[in-house]
Amino acid sequence: TAFVVEDISNIIKEAVDTTIGSSPFQTARVNAWTSAVVETCLSQLAKLGKPFKYIVTCIVMQKNGAGLHAASSCFWDNTTDGSCTLRWENKTTYCIVSVFGLGL
Amino acid sequence: MDDFQTAEETTFVVDEVSSIIKESVDAAIGGSTYQHSRVNQWSSSVVENCLGQLTKLGKPFKYIVTCIIMQKNGAGLQTATSCFWDNTTDGSCTVRWENKSMYCIVSVFGLAI
Repeated sequence: TAFVVEDISNIIKEAVDTTIGSSPFQTARVNAWTSAVVETCLSQLAKLGKPFKYIVTCIVMQKNGAGLHAASSCFWDNTTDGSCTLRWENKTTYCIVSVFGLGL
Repeated sequence: MDDFQTAEETTFVVDEVSSIIKESVDAAIGGSTYQHSRVNQWSSSVVENCLGQLTKLGKPFKYIVTCIIMQKNGAGLQTATSCFWDNTTDGSCTVRWENKSMYCIVSVFGLAI
């Protein structure tokens, strides 16, 4: 019943690989991608059957030379809660996925 | 009257959180121009300010605050979030803020204990 960062990290990686993989950045498809990534992650996480509430966030950004900075801060129970963030990229896109798990 | 007040104290009030976020961002970045060397500090102070104000509310919640700062450069950005929680007690609030040189997106998630 602990938050295992490695398992979560694998789940995220698979979700992003299957959703975006090597596709080039396309404005028309980005909406569908972000939704698919968070939904896939969340359903895999729910399948783990652990007593946790989850929050999954996904950022997809075009590689265009722009600067991007992301930060997060949490007010929770250090003994039971945890988070995992994965930074993924391909030739044209950056994808940052964060999963926060809060013990019930 | 008492019941209403009790409910107020234990639910996630989006408007209140929204104004806390706006104030924190205005105070931290306000009229500044995007500078690579300062962004790290800015995003940290935005989340810390928000979290500080939220904990002062004294409600029985766990909070997660995330902040994204992006330079205005024509790049496309899409964000999505999905939550597995208790719909009756938990909530979230996202504020999109911008000035001439950058975008700032702050999300606050509140989960009842």
